[in-house]
Amino acid sequence: MGVITEKTALPRIQPVKFILNWGRRYSLWVMNFGLACCAIEFIAASTAKNDFIRLGVIPTAHGPRQADLLVVAGTLTDKMAPALKRVYEQMPDPKYVISFGSCSNCGGPYWDSYSVTKGVDQIVPIDVYVPGCPPRPEALLHGILELQRKIKDEDIAEKFGGPASAAF
Amino acid sequence: MQGGAVSGAGTLALDDAASRLRARFGDDLLEVTEQHGHLAVSVTPARYHDVCRFVRDEPEFDCDYADFTTGVDRGDDGGFEVVTHVFSTTHHHNVRVKVTLPHDEPAVATVSDLWATCDWHERETAEMFGIRFEGHPQPVKLLLSEPFEGHPLRKDFALMTREAKPWPGASEGEEDDEA
Repeated sequence: MGVITEKTALPRIQPVKFILNWGRRYSLWVMNFGLACCAIEFIAASTAKNDFIRLGVIPTAHGPRQADLLVVAGTLTDKMAPALKRVYEQMPDPKYVISFGSCSNCGGPYWDSYSVTKGVDQIVPIDVYVPGCPPRPEALLHGILELQRKIKDEDIAEKFGGPASAAF
Repeated sequence: MQGGAVSGAGTLALDDAASRLRARFGDDLLEVTEQHGHLAVSVTPARYHDVCRFVRDEPEFDCDYADFTTGVDRGDDGGFEVVTHVFSTTHHHNVRVKVTLPHDEPAVATVSDLWATCDWHERETAEMFGIRFEGHPQPVKLLLSEPFEGHPLRKDFALMTREAKPWPGASEGEEDDEA
């Protein structure tokens, strides 16, 4: 996959774009940035009953450098925020982020806290927000399906190059 | 621990404990009471460390386990309280040592040399209430990030989010009125 990058004109060709997006959305190696109880729901979603592995979300990334998808599950504090930023920056493009649970969406029950970051989207760009406190594993499955739907229609050249490179 | 209720103050009779402490510390001992079945001792800041050492080393008290150290903000007039809760693993009784400090520049001696547990608890109390623990081996923040300004568990600490949007739920006491 590394041969074809956003610099190549190839992804603009519809069948190639389809295959690339098809490959990307069904091989989402996931990194669980578990910060609180939501991380347990993430684990529940990976096990036999809900089993997001059948959707191609593989929770065996050895670290951020092998991961395509980051799931921020739990309460991000201001002290932890630089670590999240660093994990995100270590991930190779194209990368996606799911914000899982009320805390990472907006602070949740800690909306007036002195130490909690009110929304992970202040630190990293978010593709899909999963609401709930904590969300059920099914909600994560829904979030993953939404993300896959997004990836299906994605144009990588547009995503990285902006309007100028979209012209070729 | 065997079944059945554990007697409040364990083998430590309140009268005996109070008289022993009074004999040793005299007027520096402000109050000895029983709260929730635990012995609660109020002392002057100057003798706080001595009282802690006494309840640790004296065989009748023998409080070898520190449960926690924390602070209480009593408002502008009441100052700060530092509470150290200790426990005896031999006698199974609890002792709370309390000391009241002024609101301006509150400081008290560290007891982390007596119980290593108190090291982190004092660091947390220091950052949350702005209380200085004199003689602490590592007086830096424990939980908060280093650039954090202010002491969030003080009553006068302003939550910025609440400045923008007041607390939407019921305040303390309002629940009772509705009932």
